[in-house]
Amino acid sequence: MSAILSKDRFEKCLGTVFGLLYVALSLFVAAEVVLRKVFDTSLQGADELGGYALAIGATIAFSLALIGRAHVRIDIFHALLPRRLGTVLNWLSSAAIAAFAALLAYCAWYVIADTFVYKSVSPTPWATPLAIPQTAWLAGLVTFAAIAAGLTARATVLLVRGEWKILDDEFGPRTTREEINEELQDLEGRSIAGRKSLGGLAKRKARS
Amino acid sequence: MNAFYVFVAFGAMLLLMVVGMPIAVSMAAVGVIGGVLAYGHPFFDAIAPVVWGVHNDNLLTSIPLFVLMGELLLRSGIADKMFGALAAWLGSMPGGLLHTGVGCSALFAATSGSSVATAATIGTVALPSLHSRGYSTRISLGSIAAGGTLGILIPPSVNLIIYGSLTNTSIGKLFMAGIVPGILLTGSFMLFVFFYSIKNSTMPKEAKLPRAVRVRLLKDLLSPAIIFGIVMGSLYGGIATTTESAALGVVAAIVLVWRAGQLDWGLLQHCFVQTAKTSGMILLIITSAFILNLAISLTGVAESMTAWVTSFGFSATQMLIVLVIFYFVLGMFMDVLSMMVATIPITFPIVSHLGADPVWFGIFIVLMCELGMITPPVGMNLFVVQGIRKDGGPIADVMLGAIPFVLIMLLFTAVLIAFPQIATWLPNKM
Repeated sequence: MSAILSKDRFEKCLGTVFGLLYVALSLFVAAEVVLRKVFDTSLQGADELGGYALAIGATIAFSLALIGRAHVRIDIFHALLPRRLGTVLNWLSSAAIAAFAALLAYCAWYVIADTFVYKSVSPTPWATPLAIPQTAWLAGLVTFAAIAAGLTARATVLLVRGEWKILDDEFGPRTTREEINEELQDLEGRSIAGRKSLGGLAKRKARS
Repeated sequence: MNAFYVFVAFGAMLLLMVVGMPIAVSMAAVGVIGGVLAYGHPFFDAIAPVVWGVHNDNLLTSIPLFVLMGELLLRSGIADKMFGALAAWLGSMPGGLLHTGVGCSALFAATSGSSVATAATIGTVALPSLHSRGYSTRISLGSIAAGGTLGILIPPSVNLIIYGSLTNTSIGKLFMAGIVPGILLTGSFMLFVFFYSIKNSTMPKEAKLPRAVRVRLLKDLLSPAIIFGIVMGSLYGGIATTTESAALGVVAAIVLVWRAGQLDWGLLQHCFVQTAKTSGMILLIITSAFILNLAISLTGVAESMTAWVTSFGFSATQMLIVLVIFYFVLGMFMDVLSMMVATIPITFPIVSHLGADPVWFGIFIVLMCELGMITPPVGMNLFVVQGIRKDGGPIADVMLGAIPFVLIMLLFTAVLIAFPQIATWLPNKM
């Protein structure tokens, strides 16, 4: 239970960083567009900032999608396979994601090593030392790889112990059914909230 | 590099996907293995700058921004309200609520971008009332499954952004090109419902609401219209780039959610987490696509495939017909996003070689993806609609109900091939 709670909190924390990053970027870019068109001046660098926001945001998003089992897998034929084979494939897909995440982290390391050697700066008015955004990018990808490795370690333990059911539950593809249920739950929440706000509106109207 | 190896590699990738390996990993694995077989260890070092290039591409920043914009409109309930307004306006036509379902799916999917959310929302609201008023079950289910596919054609569309980024095609033009076909296809669906209802006189008729009520409900369409206007207006007018228009869309969405009295921390956090998951999934697939693309371009696969295909001496039209069949079959088994990113690096050079317009081809590809969403056995929207119905009938109902819409889409594709201006006229006005 506490594991679920902390997973939820972890998701919310990372999600908030991710979301605020893009909200801040949107405000900055919107300001830039208005300044450019209406006042004919520019804050400069909104494009560049957008690129860095993607580099950092994407790595957070990879991790969140991994925890939320959102990296797409086709589940229809998987469900038809012999059960044990399906379970082994669930383990294998976790390991494969970990390997891919490790490759991406290696790529980031390779890029940043070059950046340090050549002391590269961005080819823009800001001339940002690329080491700054790339370090954050590397950290994000290393985190992604670490989470993927941790999950794979857990999957391996489950596999070795022969706990097939738990392995399937935790590492199986997210079924359409699960996705629909989540959406339906959210929809129900929305219609309740909608009724509440309508009720609030009526009360406010009655008072005035 | 001959065509045989390409088919082996492509087959291996399909197999990995079909047995349930993550889509992104399947694509990257084939790309990396192919590249390493051809070039050995240095291929790894070639990947690194490509990955940084993709993750630092300001254009792709528009993807999380558009997803966030859609989430805000969806989770705040702004998108839900469109149904009531459309029901009031479209309900009195023959076919009644079915039109509302199609029209609403089109608008809803265009703003939200998630076909699961679209079908779940529209289906949950529409299906029970369609059922209780005696509409044909199959047509009801089919129209909602088909309506949900319209969102990837009507801008802002993440699929078109991905196509544009893989082929270096202007996103602004692609978005403009999606408008007319999007409207025409929605219209064709409605026309079919219209004639079907006239022929089947048992279909119920809806009472017309008083004009005053209908006009008042129009305000529920205002928010989505404002967002669409800001995003497309700024692009069309050349005021903003794709990413800038997405940022303007996010800011406008936040303001609208606040005006609707729904802006609170819980909602924002929920939107943030959902946006991160969806964008993480999409961006990882794009990263893999670029790795695969690198292997394809380094090993000269695209050139050899182009040479192989041209050796058959197909005309452009014949080639497109072959591609329709190819995508139709592939779409039955593949998730559409991965189908698109995995095939574009090969099909795009071929059709470009034969003289097809890149913007036009983008619309064609997206249309093929729409088909893939409602063709069994792997038709996402069929399962989603089946998953939300409460009457417990078989999935065959949904599949049979979707058939007329599949035929309409195929017919529409033929028209698009015969009259490419449908897609290219508006972007050429820019």
